[in-house]
Amino acid sequence: MIEARQLTKSFKIYPSKPGILNSMRSLFSAKYEIKHAVDSISFKIDEGEFVGYIGPNGAGKSTTIKMLSGILHPSSGTATVLGIDPQKERKELARNIGIVFGQRTQLWWDLPVKDSFEILKAMYKIDEQDYRHFLKQYDDILEIGRFLETPVRKLSLGQRMRADLAAAMIHNPSVLFLDEPTIGLDVVAKKNIREFLKEMNISHQKTIILTTHDMDDIEQLCSRVIVINQGKTVLDGSLEQLKNHIGLPSILKVLYDEHVNPKNISGVEKIEQNGSELTILYDRSKITSPALLQEISQWGTPKDIQMKEPDIEEVIQNFY
Amino acid sequence: MKLYIKLVSASIRSRMQYKMNFVFSMVSYGIVMMIDFLMLAAILNRFNEVKGWNLYEVGILYGISSVSLSLYRTVAPEIHEFEKYMIEGEFDSLLIRPVSPLVLLLSKNLDLSRIGGALQGMIIIALSLYHISHTHSITMLLIYLPVILVCGWIISFSLALVTATIAFWTQRIKDFQTFTLYAPFNAANYPMNIYPGWLKFIFFTVIPVAFINYVPMLFLLNKGGSIYYLLLPVLVALLFFYLASAFWNFGIRFYHSTGT
Repeated sequence: MIEARQLTKSFKIYPSKPGILNSMRSLFSAKYEIKHAVDSISFKIDEGEFVGYIGPNGAGKSTTIKMLSGILHPSSGTATVLGIDPQKERKELARNIGIVFGQRTQLWWDLPVKDSFEILKAMYKIDEQDYRHFLKQYDDILEIGRFLETPVRKLSLGQRMRADLAAAMIHNPSVLFLDEPTIGLDVVAKKNIREFLKEMNISHQKTIILTTHDMDDIEQLCSRVIVINQGKTVLDGSLEQLKNHIGLPSILKVLYDEHVNPKNISGVEKIEQNGSELTILYDRSKITSPALLQEISQWGTPKDIQMKEPDIEEVIQNFY
Repeated sequence: MKLYIKLVSASIRSRMQYKMNFVFSMVSYGIVMMIDFLMLAAILNRFNEVKGWNLYEVGILYGISSVSLSLYRTVAPEIHEFEKYMIEGEFDSLLIRPVSPLVLLLSKNLDLSRIGGALQGMIIIALSLYHISHTHSITMLLIYLPVILVCGWIISFSLALVTATIAFWTQRIKDFQTFTLYAPFNAANYPMNIYPGWLKFIFFTVIPVAFINYVPMLFLLNKGGSIYYLLLPVLVALLFFYLASAFWNFGIRFYHSTGT
């Protein structure tokens, strides 16, 4: 359904200087560095899969998605999405895929949400009946009816993301590319979006590729994970395999009022000690957070406790 | 076409969200237009004749060149401001639609305040024609004028499209626009025979502004041109538009996008 074969995108980086002469010079100059944003990545995704595509900032996630959707031309290698070559038949592909960029809205900023939908309706040549069905269906699951008449710039981030997701679904695409759809959202908004995506994947058999920085997105949604770093695939497997590989540790930081001597507890992977401060990496599936809290309070009197969920950046670092 | 109208009306509604700003830009553009007009009058008064072209003949050249450029600026402000799509990576959002990005760009915005510039040019053409009508027959010129203006518009749009395409490599095009748009159109306000050979060569080839007004006027104002000169603007406009779109489609392959 979606296939990448040795997909590569390299950029020439010219040292650029301001001014017309310099920009002319850099246009013709031979001085440049080549940076491989995506370096010979191959994968095959079947219908109905929900794939988490993760990696640190600048790993090449967005670049891959842009090549799969026909926005960028690969330097070498090829891609096929729904049997279509994204570069040769970009417009044909656009009718069959939905794209959401979490950082940038695809809606008309100053117009009410409904106006954006109507423009898209004309653009994708959607007939009146399907359009009414769309509005009803997405009011049921994303409650877009509440802010249809509001200009996009006045929406909250969560509402805007719901409107953007609905807009990406207006032509009922069978493949969805989601680039950080939960970025910056609060817990409730994230939960709404996850439920929506789950439903799209399970009841509507949409094939979804999702990039994210949020490990909870991955844990709750994705059956398969592809990890990339510096443009190369580091891991392509199930969520279980990812966990076995890196453990997905949760992090607890505790500050005691005096120096303590920590003991070994099962489920705790690593303890770092810095004076009277402890950083504890543990596996939530083996020891629950309350149980751990009870343990650590026996070591001394905690002055401050912070809990942190694992961060993709740190997870990837654990690979090395 | 239906989609174009829908998108354009959306853009005008967006603009109307900031009513004060819209009114203000109309008014300020009107003032700039007046000053420009007064300067032209001063220049035209100083010289009686430029290399065999009298005031009103130059006025016609000036008017055609300025109407052509203003029509382009009205219809294609997003092409003119194309570098923002490169710098902010906004071009992505045009490439995810089942419609050509050029159509989306053109329908994104209309700069109605530029119509003032076109009107100013029209007034100059009308005044000049009135004076010329004492000595020449202007029937042919009047009939052919709309064709000339459409060709001028297509040529200026094509030049702008070529310049915008350069942004796929350089990101920025503001500096290039001086050389490919502003300077040539300023030059085309006056007859081409006042320029040195190398400059004339440029204006007849890579930046073909000579065909917008000078070439057809050689015939229409009895300056020794043949009737075939009337065909040239049409041919050049079509050829140049074709080349510019081909270059644009080639350039899109080199679009870099930006990181998030």
